[in-house]
Order: sequence, then structure tokens, then C-alpha cells
Amino acid sequence: MNAPFFKFGLFGENVSLIVAFLIGIGFGFFLERAGFGSARKLTAQFYFTDLAVFKVMFSAIITAMIGLFYLGWMGVLDLSLVYLTPTFMLPQVVGGLLLGVGFVVGGYCPGTACVGLATGKIDALVNLLGIFAGILVFGELFPFVEAFYTATPMGQVTLPQIMNIPYGVVVFAVILMAVGGFAGATRVEKAMAKRKEVQPS
Amino acid sequence: MTRLKTTHYAAILLGVLGLFAAFAGSPYQGTQYTIDAKELARVVEGEVDHVNPETLADWIIQGKSDFRVIDLRTEAEFAGYHIPGAENAALTALPEYGLTKSETIVLYSEGGIHSAQAWFLLKAKGYRGVYMLRGGLEEWKDRVLFPTLAANPTPAQTVEFAKMKEVSKFFGGTPQTGAAGDQQPTVEPAMPKLEMPQSALAPAGAQKKKKKEGC
Repeated sequence: MNAPFFKFGLFGENVSLIVAFLIGIGFGFFLERAGFGSARKLTAQFYFTDLAVFKVMFSAIITAMIGLFYLGWMGVLDLSLVYLTPTFMLPQVVGGLLLGVGFVVGGYCPGTACVGLATGKIDALVNLLGIFAGILVFGELFPFVEAFYTATPMGQVTLPQIMNIPYGVVVFAVILMAVGGFAGATRVEKAMAKRKEVQPS
Repeated sequence: MTRLKTTHYAAILLGVLGLFAAFAGSPYQGTQYTIDAKELARVVEGEVDHVNPETLADWIIQGKSDFRVIDLRTEAEFAGYHIPGAENAALTALPEYGLTKSETIVLYSEGGIHSAQAWFLLKAKGYRGVYMLRGGLEEWKDRVLFPTLAANPTPAQTVEFAKMKEVSKFFGGTPQTGAAGDQQPTVEPAMPKLEMPQSALAPAGAQKKKKKEGC
């Protein structure tokens, strides 16, 4: 048995769509259960009063990372077949900042906007309409931004490759960052809660 | 209090998994080697897959030890002469030879064909720091062991030759000073003896690298 299943032909295109649908439903479900259907909860992140977004996302990252590492290490998963988004450093940094600004202003990121809409939030609907309008504008203007869009190409790179250190060491470093981040986030939340208590009096 | 404990347990579990990962080795065990043709073509076109004989000579003289030189010729040829510090490995034995994927590997054969094939083989297996000695042992002889001054040298060529003369002596070669560019040398200059050159330039590190492996 070897993964990724789709690339080894364990199931075809049609079944892969069903699998993707199920994974998507699961993803949405857990986002909702984490409270991410609410713009209040999401934006609290940017005021440091509730860092659940950071914790949930970082948990997901290290879970996937540890899973991929050990499955690859055991020979169950062919890591070289796992698709990596090619890196275009400059446009992706700018794009990330744009997404962040949109997140703060609109209260949702694309995924959570869908979750919000699924639970009947009007602001999520407005947010999604904005997202689609943005996609349309971007698509129409693409010839003008194409040069920037493909600037600073680095190919499909990973941190172990760039830094030329063993994969497992990067895994360990990210885990240390995560554990430190979780502890720090909890501390920040407590400090902010205290400030809130003090303020009204 | 109990909630706090759960997070502590989680942190410890993560730490253990991470620590083990750091020493576990490569996660690419299940990898079926695939070649990214575009990436490979880019590497070949950019000629970043080569090491000049002069550069390699420089590394050896400086006593750099973060690279391995692999001689792909037969045992007999290897015994006759090899680049100081080189290890002998047959093309077929290369995947099991014990090279690691992150180290710098310089491959050479008599000309360039075998090293190019070995380069491709190792690249396809996911070795990242694989290089070919440009022109193989032939060019090593021409440029490092027996450098020749052109018939009507430019000042730059003369300076370059003066430098290569020293390098050549270091490796026990004979610089060809005859300035007989178009005159065919009738006698092949003698290959230097196998001993690692004992020069003041050679640090102890370079000495240690020489392995008399018969494999």
C-alpha cells in the first residue's frame, strides 16, 4: 500500500472528487466547531484577545507535518508525489499581506466565509460576494499583472532544501516554535483578559 | 488544572515526536524516484552541474573537506592514477555506495560520459549536491597536471599560466612551458606518482581525506 492514493491510481478522477468533497465537508465542520463561523471570533485574533485561529491553524500545520514526515519515513507515503505550490517570493508576500488586510477588514478569510455562510451569516455572504468580485477583477486584469504574478520564481522548494538541513531537524524546529507559540498565545490571552477586567472599573 | 495537564502532555508528546524526527533520517523512504525534466534541463543549461578542474584543484589545495570525489573508472585505472582524495566506485555500485543526499559529490571518469550518466542516476535518486568534473580526467590532465601556455600568450594568459604552474607542481604534474601550441607532443608526459603532494600548503585535513579503498 502506498500513498498518495490518487497518484498511484487507487481511484480515478470521479472518486477523487467525492473524496475531495468529503474532506471539504470535514474541513468546514471542524472550522465551524472551532468557532470560525463567527467574524467576531476571527477578528479577535488581531486584537490579541482570542488567539484560537493561531492555535487551530498551527495545530493543523504541525499535525499534517508530523503525519507527512512519519508516513514518508515509514515508506507508506511517497513524499515526492505530494504536490507543492511553486514559490514566487515577492508576489506571494504581497498577496499574503493583501489577504491579511482583507481578513482584518472583512472579518473572514475565504474558507471561513464559506463556513459563515453555511451557518447563515449575512456578513459572510457579503464577504464572499466581495471575494468573487475580486476574483473577477483580477482575472480581467491578469494580463497587466502577469509579469509581477510570475516574478521571483523559486520552483517547488521546501525549507529543508533552502536551508540545506535535514528534514527531521526542520520538523523539530517547527514543533518547538509551535509549542512556544501556544504557550505564548495563552499568556497573551490571559494578559489581555486581565486588561479588559481592569478597564471598565 | 486538569486541562493544563492535557496541554502539558500534548507538548511532551510533540517534543518526543520532534526529537525523534530530528534523528530519524530522511522521510523520502517511500519515494519512487521521479525526474522533474524542466528543473533538470534548467540545471544542465545553466551549467551549474559542473565543477571546473581548477576549482576542484583549489578545493583540494585549500584542504576543504566538505565534498567527496568519486572516480568511476575501473580499479586498475584507479590504482594507476587518481585525483588525490578520490574514492573508487563503479557506476553500478553507486546507489549503494553510501553517499548521502545532502553532501557535495564530484564525479569524474576518463572523459565526460560516464560521469554524466552517474550524475543523472544520482539526480534521479534525489541527491542534491552532485557535480561532474568538467571534461573528466582528460581535462584535469590538460589544465591541472600538464597546463600548456598558448603559443602567443596574452598577458592574462601568462598570469593564469603562472598560477596554474604552481597548482600543477602541487599535484606533481609538469607544466608544459615549450609554448609549442601547434606542435604535437611526441611523448606523453609522465603521470605523477600517487602520493598526496607533501606541500606546505597542504593542511592535515587534506591528508586525512585520502582513502586507500579498494572497492
